[in-house]
Amino acid sequence: MPNHTNLFRPALGGLTALALAVPASATAQQWETRAGDRNWGLDISLILEGIYYNELSHGISEPAGFDDGHDHGHGDGHDHGGFDDGFNLGHNELAFEANLGDLFDGFLMLGFDEDHLDVEEAYLTTRALPGGFQVKAGKFLSDIGYINSRHGHDWDFVDRPLVNEYLFGDHGLQETGVQATWLAPTATYTKLGVELLQGDNSFIPYQGSGGSHTTNAGDEIGSSFSDVSGPRLVTAFAKFGPDLGPDHAAQFGISGGYARTWQEETEHGSGLEEWDGDAWFAGLDAVYKYSSGRAYGHGDWRLQGEYFYREIDVDYQRREDQTTIAGNAQGSGKARQDGLYIQGVYGFAPRWEAGLRSEALGLTNRGLPTNEGSERNFAEPSFGTSYRHSAQITFRPVEPVFLRAQLSQNDFVDEDGDRDRGLEFMLQLNVALGAHGAHRF
Amino acid sequence: MSFSKTRTRITRTLAAVASVAALTFILLPAQAAAGLNIVATTSSLGALAREIGGDEAEVRVLAPPDRDAHYLDARPSFMAALRRADLLLEMGAGLEEGWLPAAQRGARNRAINSGQPGHFRAADKVELRRSITKDGPNMGHVHEEGNPHFNADPLRMAEIGLALGERMGELRPDHAEAFMERAEAAAERLREHAEKLAERVEPDQRIVVYHEDLDYLEEWLPVEIVGYLEPAPGIPPTARHLRSLVGDLEGTDGAVLYAVFQPERGAEFLERHLGWPTHAVRLDPPDEKALEGYLELMTTWAEALSQR
Repeated sequence: MPNHTNLFRPALGGLTALALAVPASATAQQWETRAGDRNWGLDISLILEGIYYNELSHGISEPAGFDDGHDHGHGDGHDHGGFDDGFNLGHNELAFEANLGDLFDGFLMLGFDEDHLDVEEAYLTTRALPGGFQVKAGKFLSDIGYINSRHGHDWDFVDRPLVNEYLFGDHGLQETGVQATWLAPTATYTKLGVELLQGDNSFIPYQGSGGSHTTNAGDEIGSSFSDVSGPRLVTAFAKFGPDLGPDHAAQFGISGGYARTWQEETEHGSGLEEWDGDAWFAGLDAVYKYSSGRAYGHGDWRLQGEYFYREIDVDYQRREDQTTIAGNAQGSGKARQDGLYIQGVYGFAPRWEAGLRSEALGLTNRGLPTNEGSERNFAEPSFGTSYRHSAQITFRPVEPVFLRAQLSQNDFVDEDGDRDRGLEFMLQLNVALGAHGAHRF
Repeated sequence: MSFSKTRTRITRTLAAVASVAALTFILLPAQAAAGLNIVATTSSLGALAREIGGDEAEVRVLAPPDRDAHYLDARPSFMAALRRADLLLEMGAGLEEGWLPAAQRGARNRAINSGQPGHFRAADKVELRRSITKDGPNMGHVHEEGNPHFNADPLRMAEIGLALGERMGELRPDHAEAFMERAEAAAERLREHAEKLAERVEPDQRIVVYHEDLDYLEEWLPVEIVGYLEPAPGIPPTARHLRSLVGDLEGTDGAVLYAVFQPERGAEFLERHLGWPTHAVRLDPPDEKALEGYLELMTTWAEALSQR
């Protein structure tokens, strides 16, 4: 999708929010600028990243069962997960932050590598709604789970956890829409939120009507999908953070979402495969941080984990031409898949951290319905579980710079049930220049 | 895909959210009108607020007093505290920039937004010393506005107290007079105590500090900062830098002061090679105390120097 469309939609969302917030703010106390408050300008920051990647031994490239849906909408090969052997310009970001009085904060983040420039996020956040409410409108990273809404330079490992990448896409759940959140006036941090999202580029593929495919035999097959207007995805989340004193802090989250449409197709020389249905997901996340009180993060701990489950309920058909079903390749079924990771990072010396991460993908791994054999019989395939284990060491010579070495062993299973191990080494250099925004918990 | 349809839908949903928001706001029990709910980033500001607020204010301090206020997380509990605050006190000038903006945004409380009367930024009320972070190469820790560690200066804290008393009075006009009286009394005690302590210290003291966080001692004690253990702000001491410090200071007298949360190795190196005494001091008073805690802290700073 061209970038100008991406910019246009957030702007519309923002205007809607503006129309809504202005009358609300009129009832609140009048706002005034006090001299000396410097938080009004435009802050710009640039994050540059370089990655050296070396595949020490090759295992299985992709975990079984996650072909469809994954990587959808990124036919351009803009893939954060897959590095070339050798040097890579990593994931670079240019972020702009500004505010309109104390009414709105605006945020724009452009992500780029050698070949591509994407609008990763472009949204307005209200700052003046009463009663603990906040509305965010535009294109943004969904607040489901923990890592989904965080950019790469805030991660503790070079790459995105498998569960986030394979359930929600290479950018995570990143959508255009509106988010409303409410913070309860309680001593325990309690945040509730809902999001209405367009739903066409990450977790839910969307095709719409009007498409067609011409087979090698010259038959034109018209798409069987119907148009479904957005927003097609709704999510909800709750986060809790008890006050544990100066040394400890924790946050627990529960989130879920429902996509009222899930449309995917695969074109073949001999015909067209189509999946049409809906999907939902739910997950839990937790993060705990220990602060030792010593300088440069020495003795600090961070523990974090997430689990997500999703179900896709679809009608499936494979056609040879407009009306002929290939063999018996037709039916309804459910894909049921999940994944989790748990990781810990410890500051073993001033400015030095070491971390371990363990991941499992497809503990439940029922794939999308498909067809089998030359008879093209309807089938609901089931796959094994894939694992990955990673270890990292990070050095922060100065505040805005880190150098990270990571070793990952993947233990993936393929579609035939064969298992193989691969070993990857990554060296990441990440530098933040300019104003760097405050760190979220 | 119909654009206008999507927009109508979003508008409708937003309208629904707005009505719920408005309703909740009306129905929520009004906050206890009497007490002023104050959240302070550091315990030095907290001590002032407690002293001035007396029984008419509830004060919560965010940064643990024995920690470096530069490096904290925007914890969920901070946002929960700020959500209910009537007044946010911050030092400003970049001290809390790594976490406070995120906590403020996350608090969803307009009263404490920057620019509102419920947001008090101490750095706006006093003149700041130039920060040494502007001298070196830009290593991501530059305080353009000036040195934000003015909590080490009771004279500036006295001025801040007066401005704070006035602001608290604006927010609770019923108590304005009491706040102002207490602020004036506090300012008086701070200045008297500073004078008394300064008289007891031997003149022309020289000290090495870790970071620029004790520079303001020069403003009220007969003391001169002659070196920093950090080679550049935010960078831990290197052997090379420490050796050059020792080279510069050999044969002279002085003391080394560093904060309790800073590593002691650099100070120990100077103690070994120069024979200078070292003192780990607190930068902020213990939480839960009013002005008394800050006055005691001033005493520990002054007594780390040679006494007459």
